[in-house]
Amino acid sequence: MAVVKTLLYLLVYPGLLFLFFYSTFAEWFDRKIYARMQNRIGPLHTGRSGLLQPIADFIKLMAKEDIVPEKADKGMFSALPVFALAIVCTAAMYIPLWHYQASKVTFNSFPGDLIVVVYLLSLPTLIFFLAGWHSSNFFSTIGGFRVLTMLFGYEVPLMLAVLSPAILAGSWRLVEIAQFYQGRPLLLLPNILGFVIALICLQAKLERVPFDIPHAETEIVGGTFTEYSGKKLAFFRLLSDIEMVVGAGLIAAVFMGGFPGGLIWGFIYFIIKTLIVIFLLAALRAATGRIRIDQMVHFSWHYLAPLAVLQLLITIIIKGFLL
Amino acid sequence: MMAEFKVPIGPQHPALKEPISLRMTFEGEIIKDADVRLGYNHRGIEKLAEQKTFIHNLYLTERICGICSHSHTTCYAQGVEKLMGIEPPKRGLYIRTLIAELERVHSHLLWLGVAGHEAGFDSFFMYTWRDREVVMDILEIISGNRVHYAMNALGGVRRDIDEVQRKKILDSLDLLIKRTGYYANIGTNEPTFVARLANVGVLSKQQAIDLCAVGPTMRASDISRDVRKDDPYAAYAELPFEVCTAATCDVLGRTIVRVKELFECYKMIEFMLKNLPAGEIRVKAPRRVKEAEVVSRYEAPRGENIHYIKSNGTDKPERLKVRAPTLANYPATLVMLKNGYIADIPLIFAAIDPCICCAERLVEMTDARSGETHVVTMDELRKRSVEHYRKVGISRKDAVWQL
Amino acid sequence: MKILPFLPELIRHIFKKPATVKYPFEKLAVPKRFRGTPILIPARCTACKICQLDCPAEAIEIVPVAEAEKKFKMTIHNDRCVHCEQCVESCPFNAMTMNQEFELAVFDRRKLKMEYVYTKAAPVPKPKTETTPS
Repeated sequence: MAVVKTLLYLLVYPGLLFLFFYSTFAEWFDRKIYARMQNRIGPLHTGRSGLLQPIADFIKLMAKEDIVPEKADKGMFSALPVFALAIVCTAAMYIPLWHYQASKVTFNSFPGDLIVVVYLLSLPTLIFFLAGWHSSNFFSTIGGFRVLTMLFGYEVPLMLAVLSPAILAGSWRLVEIAQFYQGRPLLLLPNILGFVIALICLQAKLERVPFDIPHAETEIVGGTFTEYSGKKLAFFRLLSDIEMVVGAGLIAAVFMGGFPGGLIWGFIYFIIKTLIVIFLLAALRAATGRIRIDQMVHFSWHYLAPLAVLQLLITIIIKGFLL
Repeated sequence: MMAEFKVPIGPQHPALKEPISLRMTFEGEIIKDADVRLGYNHRGIEKLAEQKTFIHNLYLTERICGICSHSHTTCYAQGVEKLMGIEPPKRGLYIRTLIAELERVHSHLLWLGVAGHEAGFDSFFMYTWRDREVVMDILEIISGNRVHYAMNALGGVRRDIDEVQRKKILDSLDLLIKRTGYYANIGTNEPTFVARLANVGVLSKQQAIDLCAVGPTMRASDISRDVRKDDPYAAYAELPFEVCTAATCDVLGRTIVRVKELFECYKMIEFMLKNLPAGEIRVKAPRRVKEAEVVSRYEAPRGENIHYIKSNGTDKPERLKVRAPTLANYPATLVMLKNGYIADIPLIFAAIDPCICCAERLVEMTDARSGETHVVTMDELRKRSVEHYRKVGISRKDAVWQL
Repeated sequence: MKILPFLPELIRHIFKKPATVKYPFEKLAVPKRFRGTPILIPARCTACKICQLDCPAEAIEIVPVAEAEKKFKMTIHNDRCVHCEQCVESCPFNAMTMNQEFELAVFDRRKLKMEYVYTKAAPVPKPKTETTPS
């Protein structure tokens, strides 16, 4: 029975099948809200009001011709999208949806799994750099440099912002953090600053405007993905969507009180809370323009990192009062 | 120190709307050197103009460009009217100027959107182009088409404006003024957008004069020159307006100049609609023109547009030469690109408002075998083409058009 | 320098109707004097060939079919036409007009040519309107 449940967990919900369908739904939601903000319609004709559009895009890309440049390293070039997709799907396993027990340590919930999720989410950035490096194209190389430079900018504030609620809750385990805030919801308020910082850093991790510098379309054609086409590009785009869902799930679990209530209620809470986070990300995307790489690093070290340290300070002071 | 890369931006690149080749040398993210190569959009318009009559050329010059179509045809029509010695009536001149100012409005709104898109600010792009539709609808009602208005005739304009249209334009003006004010506010207050525009593509006042920059590119370097004020044509001598300048010498200055020009355009359009003189809109023009030559200047949305027309007594011109404003801005662009970042290339290039198809007048001949390039004069090119076509067996008189 | 000044307008627009027109399911009306494709009124044409001379795109071709009965055939090449309305303006007898069609896409450009076979009419000069012919 447990084996069946684990298999269901890995493959169906919240495993691969659910991730695939939910991330395409999240991409539809993001595109529709972005379009409505700009007074446009967004996806319309595929499926009812365009719901099947991201799946149609994925299928179209899978069916296109797959070109590998002559000078590129064939093995690395082809393997990198698959690695990245596997890494992000693994990170999704640790979001506390169901099949966990607060008292026992299981394979998907153990002390420190918060750090594991943040670490796994930063690996795709390294893979993007490798993808750009192995493409033997000038624009891809520049995209790869920019990806790593951005990593130096946003990773530290993200870590600090995500760790503050964990310090207040007194645990490194996502399930316990969520249960702590479910019990004392008022304590979510001091973490608002961390919430905003985490949102901005998540936007940078997902490489969306204002931080879509690595694949800035009007400057360096496609950035790291210039030479990718066909199935490999389909995997990279699916990777971005799944990363958005996992990042939104992480923020919802840490800053918004998690997904209590077992299978059905957990599912509903997950959908609502991640859609709220995705709505905020889409609003940020619509309301700003792209900034330059040097401005981004300046912004993150002059504003984001000090604010994250401030949030840490607030958390420590409040914890002092709690004890 | 990082190695130097030689990279071509273009001819195909998402930042460019038309093909042009910028050969750049990068060192890391900094541009060390830039070189421009034209000719990808050459259509042979100047040669074709010598084989078509003066009336045909009205429509040919219009199709040099889509955004600034009225500027080319007005510049040409003005020149030919000078050659013929006829003077269009006042109402015709007013309507011609009205269309010119409406074209300036639509071109500057288009530019605002393109600047937003190049900077990654897509919402701004969508909003300005949505409001540009108001102007396009007005132009469609007046002239019958959204681009290529074909309003000019030799001797005046072809269509009149009636009371219903006049009211409609005045009503739309209020909406446009309000929206332009809103965009000016957003454009100067959105921190991510301003960070991309400020201190980018700096062109000092002396450099702008030395490199012969024209249009808003020059006016953003605090030089107050405008053909409409210095050498008034059409109805501009009677219209109250000011030349807009900015003193920051960068892309932000060029944006501010264009937004200020938009407000001046609205003022002028309102004045013209309220004071439209009554009377005829055109005079009759002869078909044949005696021998003479003329230089005609016009302030297009992008800068100074010059047409040189020479006639030889028949009904076809002897020579038509077009100097589009973007061609004059290329040397200034190359200087602006040096020591900038890669991320600034689309913005610096978009800030001169490039209309590359207007500027395709240069042909560089490259010997396919030896790889040598040299520039050929017009006479030599003509000799070569006559020889070639005689060899191939097609001459003008008995040409059979297969389609 | 404000933070996200564009955001209130964006949020307001989520609840407004989109500005997009769902062409080809919804179409906007073209204005009255829209320049579509040229149409001949054969009853007024005297085959003077001024329109053929003045067309910048060589889109009008008038050939005699039968000399004795004064029959002519005019072919309007809509694939060459640039929709400039010069033929309407140049015709001294008001025999050309423009219709409002602009959806001219076809797979074979030979289908876009329109032919008229007619007898030459007696010349009736057009009344003086705002546009005097040049």
